[in-house]
Amino acid sequence: MSWKTKPSSTLQIPRRAEPYVCASVAERWEREIVAKYHVRKGALMPILHEIQHEHRCIPYQAMVEIARFLGISPAEVLDCATFYEEFSLEPRGRCTIGICQSIACEACDHKPLLDHCRRTLGIEPGETTADGSFTLLAMECLGSCDTAPVALFNETLHEKLDVPTVDRLIAQARQAPAGGHHH
Amino acid sequence: MRLTEPVLTKRIPGCVPGVNDGGTAARTTVSFEQYKATGGYASLAKALDMEPAKVIELVKEAVVRGRGGAGFPAGLKWSFLPQDDGAGHRYLCINCDEAEPGTFKDRLLCDFDPHLILEGIAIACHACKLDTAYFFIRGEYHHQAKVMEKAIQEAYAGGVFGKGGLLRRAGAISVDCFLHRSAGAYICGEETGLLEAIEGKRGWPRVKPPFPAVKGLFGRPTIINNVETLAAVVPIVEKGVAWWKGIGVESSLGGMPSYGTKLMGVSGHVNRPGVFEAPLGVKLSTLVNDYCGGMRKGKRFKGAIAGGVSMGVLGTDQFDAAMDFDIGRACNVLGLGTACPTIFDEDTDMVMVARNIARFFKNESCGQCTPCREGSGWIYKLLCRIEQGQATTADLDLLLELGMSMGLTPGTTICGLADGNNWAIRTIVGKFRGEFEKRVKPKFVPVHVSAH
Ligand SMILES: Cc1cc2nc3c(=O)[nH]c(=O)nc-3n(C[C@H](O)[C@H](O)[C@H](O)COP(=O)(O)O)c2cc1C
Ligand code: SF4
Ligand code: FES
Repeated sequence: MSWKTKPSSTLQIPRRAEPYVCASVAERWEREIVAKYHVRKGALMPILHEIQHEHRCIPYQAMVEIARFLGISPAEVLDCATFYEEFSLEPRGRCTIGICQSIACEACDHKPLLDHCRRTLGIEPGETTADGSFTLLAMECLGSCDTAPVALFNETLHEKLDVPTVDRLIAQARQAPAGGHHH
Repeated sequence: MRLTEPVLTKRIPGCVPGVNDGGTAARTTVSFEQYKATGGYASLAKALDMEPAKVIELVKEAVVRGRGGAGFPAGLKWSFLPQDDGAGHRYLCINCDEAEPGTFKDRLLCDFDPHLILEGIAIACHACKLDTAYFFIRGEYHHQAKVMEKAIQEAYAGGVFGKGGLLRRAGAISVDCFLHRSAGAYICGEETGLLEAIEGKRGWPRVKPPFPAVKGLFGRPTIINNVETLAAVVPIVEKGVAWWKGIGVESSLGGMPSYGTKLMGVSGHVNRPGVFEAPLGVKLSTLVNDYCGGMRKGKRFKGAIAGGVSMGVLGTDQFDAAMDFDIGRACNVLGLGTACPTIFDEDTDMVMVARNIARFFKNESCGQCTPCREGSGWIYKLLCRIEQGQATTADLDLLLELGMSMGLTPGTTICGLADGNNWAIRTIVGKFRGEFEKRVKPKFVPVHVSAH
């Protein structure tokens, strides 16, 4: 929940011709998501999840289109998108590595894992490699403290980690075909 | 103290050592069919034979105290709901945010026995006349979200949820159950932050009153309960109040009792960390020595986080603390919390522990209240300085003053996150003061003494 200053005055919104919320997407969202909430805006988080999952970020143009779809203001979408750590305005790498840094993991030596990622990828937590392949995050408790230290590689949790295993996982992620990481 | 048979974990091997062994490798996700074949959904059928008010009465008599952290009795909470005015929806929100560092107990039920949770949800909806349930799960629980989504679909297909009434009973309320994934914000575990998140907003806790029972999700009456609280209702309906009260302990301090079994997730420097099911009142030392195979590498116990970092720490002399709802007053911590202790051995640097926890609260403060937003960052900076040996005794005093100034208890914030920060810092510094003093340079603040 960090406080991010929004570049409202200088922001140039990149546009693409193809809409993010095309007719078929809108129709599916209506049926699968909006139907679950008695007030339309409730659909916002599931929709942001879907966009983040697909594009590895929440593009500004998508926010404007989502706002129109839900009948709310783009500012409300931005407000939600910037509050939650899992949503990001900058594109995340094809593989996001989230090392748990909370107390059970630090007590069980998470530090060598984080340092190894730093060195191998050449980035600090919060950064993405220049080629867009990796994002490194230091995360708070992942709810798996009994198997500390742990880390998420995209959506898969890896437990009882050590440096050789992290190394192997990074090598595997390097070889994974682009886009194939989510499944 | 040990259960003679597992209750919440009867379908999950390895949670009561010596009783349902089998090792964690033997665990599998229980399907709808397997759940029904082992007595599942029989409690729901039994509850549906009872008047809703009678079910609330039962839960009240059993004194089921909330398993999400605050220990508020569920039956009492349920009775705060206004009469059904027929004017709109009434909601149940199931709190599976589980982001409190050290806590991983609800995950066990999601992973392996999702229908136990769903049966508890259905019973609560019948008792409180609620028509829509949102299962609110933290974003990082990717696997668990998939398991729960599948179980919900099975429950719809099996006639539990959906049109036509619970279990397709004529006259029973029809309930919809939806999964809502959060997206990485500890504050959404706070019950009104959670409501905001479902409404599609940033998870800023609300000022109370109005309480959610009166004006909750989308402005309608809402009950919020922890996953384990709802799961506990299932065996109570099955076996009755007297049986439930036979497990656990009365209060030794004249307070509310701690009945029943509890999931306790032990992490840190023990030989076999994991989630166990134990009667409330079990000693921490019993958990460590009998359930977890003792301290790792034969080291000595130094301290423990009581039940999630918000509760503060137990000192070296509190190894025999009884894990029940009296622990707050008995051991000078905030409370039992989630009953998931993190154990530290003699080599642990308590300044590191304090700094780690301070960083957590700095990162997770939602920023609404100045004492919490500013104070949490300030506390973290002070602790970094102390850890690096660059602080003075005056900083130590400042640290305590800052800690004590924030929270619902001093009345300076909207929610309890700041109290967690307050208690964590205060108890670590208080119980391990010597360690902090060794790390700071003496600096005395001049005191002016006047004649009158
Ligand atoms: C900062 C904060 C975080 C919380 N996180 C959780 C959580 O992750 N899970 C939970 O069940 N309760 C959490 N709670 C407690 C809830 O506000 C609420 O009391 C609880 O969900 C009620 O359920 P129960 O009565 O069944 O325990 C949190 C409270 C605060 C102040
Ligand atoms: S106490 Fe902290 S987390 Fe809670 S509402 Fe205030 S700023 Fe937000
Ligand atoms: S502290 Fe790392 S998973 Fe809980």
